[in-house]
Amino acid sequence: MNPAEELKQKLPAAVVSTGMQLNKPMAVIKKEELLNAAKKVKEMGFDHLSVITGTDYNDHFEVVYNFFSYEKKQNLVLKVITDHDNPEVDSLTSLWKGADWLERETYDLVGIKFTGHPNLIRILLPDGWVGHPLRKDYDMNTEQFVTMGEGGEDVVSTDGGNLLRRK
Amino acid sequence: METDELLINMGPVHPSTHGVLRFKLRMDGEIIKECTPVLGYLHRGTEKLGEMKTYLQFIPYTDRLDYVSAFPNNYVFVKAVEELAGIEVPLRAEYIRVITMELNRIVNHLVSIGSLLMDLGAATMIMWGFRERENALQLFEKLCGARMTFNYIKPGGVREDIPEGFIPQLNEFLKDMEKRIEDYEQLINSNEIFLMRMKNIGVISAQEAVNYGMTGPTLRGSGVDYDLRRYEPYSIYPDLDFKVCSRPEGDSYARYIVRIDEMKESLHILRQVVDTMPEGKIVSNPKYGIAPMTGTPSAVSTYFPRIFTPPAGEVYSRIEAPKGELGFYVVSDGTTKPYRVKIRSPSFCNLTAIPKMVVGLKIPDLIAAFGTIDVVLGDVDR
Repeated sequence: MNPAEELKQKLPAAVVSTGMQLNKPMAVIKKEELLNAAKKVKEMGFDHLSVITGTDYNDHFEVVYNFFSYEKKQNLVLKVITDHDNPEVDSLTSLWKGADWLERETYDLVGIKFTGHPNLIRILLPDGWVGHPLRKDYDMNTEQFVTMGEGGEDVVSTDGGNLLRRK
Repeated sequence: METDELLINMGPVHPSTHGVLRFKLRMDGEIIKECTPVLGYLHRGTEKLGEMKTYLQFIPYTDRLDYVSAFPNNYVFVKAVEELAGIEVPLRAEYIRVITMELNRIVNHLVSIGSLLMDLGAATMIMWGFRERENALQLFEKLCGARMTFNYIKPGGVREDIPEGFIPQLNEFLKDMEKRIEDYEQLINSNEIFLMRMKNIGVISAQEAVNYGMTGPTLRGSGVDYDLRRYEPYSIYPDLDFKVCSRPEGDSYARYIVRIDEMKESLHILRQVVDTMPEGKIVSNPKYGIAPMTGTPSAVSTYFPRIFTPPAGEVYSRIEAPKGELGFYVVSDGTTKPYRVKIRSPSFCNLTAIPKMVVGLKIPDLIAAFGTIDVVLGDVDR
């Protein structure tokens, strides 16, 4: 049976709808039920969390989880839809350690908060960076400059006047 | 005696981090207590660039992710676009693509093993590896004019047909390479110093490797016999005969052996592809294809649609790149540019496991274990 349908049968309260992500079975999950659904998905044998993607659709965010089962050789996609003002979903780090960096990256670039993540800090951009670049309303016209502070930490500012290349 | 913990900063400019990666190490004497990788020094915003370029314009950017093996990067983005738009690819083009990708796998593993041994203090292997790599790069140059960043695979096919003299040169390379791999094995496999540095170092169990999302040779080195070419086949891999190489030990040595075995399998695949290569077109539909370099300007302009719009939809497409599972998640909103491009890079996900692998080891062991993970920072930071 299609694993998305199977998940719906097991957790009817959590699954909003089922469908296809082109060629992969997909289930849209209620935001509050994500952790429960993920636990069930892991019990169903989906041991490989392939990728976590956050996408900004202007009025809402979608967080997409691509799972794979090494045993059954099946794909399963979970999708969670969050509101735009305060995008927040549960962290899956307790189930998949690989989710750690993937969630940090999604937080860093898209600005989705993962509740329960042990160390939710930026991973690719420096700590003081303003904004999340993969949001559609990210300000592309303001340049940000990274220099090294007294203690070796990254200092981000919008003033590039003291940089060598500006002199 | 009272002792104190020591914080050591390794990188971002360090010969053994293969680029600009930094480790924050908390040391108890010589023993690593905690290892925290710091990333982002090579972050170029490739995913954002993807939203700002048209589909065809974005292909050259994929070359610059994992610049040691760029053909698979080209291929997987193009594959995602082809799946979105439902473009068919002629058989000859698929054969050419597999030739490029398997050659690139050999090149990648040569660089990987060469730099691993150089990090361990054995300079011979990188010289030997680069000597053979040069022959492969000359083949790439003959094929598409570039040695490392190709921009060769296009939606619906490939950019140009195989030039004259390519296949004989490839056969020569295959014949030569077979002997060379034997040489490598004689040089390295039973070297006592190498064994002491590699065996039981950076061990990770199959269960943990899966939980950390490791893929590729690093996963197969932990005994998970999994290869997308076999179990989620794409291109012409279903028709080809090859072994999935794996080792049960899960240590650095196992990962090294898997790479050596994979090079042999790649040679085997290449021989089959060369023997059964069909004649025919190299682009399915001129509408999607790119004109050959030769031809009259008018022919070129009818052949070359700069604007290309797949229907709205989303796709996650993945392949077995030399370093592991490389995936592109592409969302199209029906315009000329992708709405969202997400790159699932194998280096990034494999690197997640490094803090787990090296606790309790010494710094030189970190270098050995890190070398067998085979990371390219362009792929990690994107």
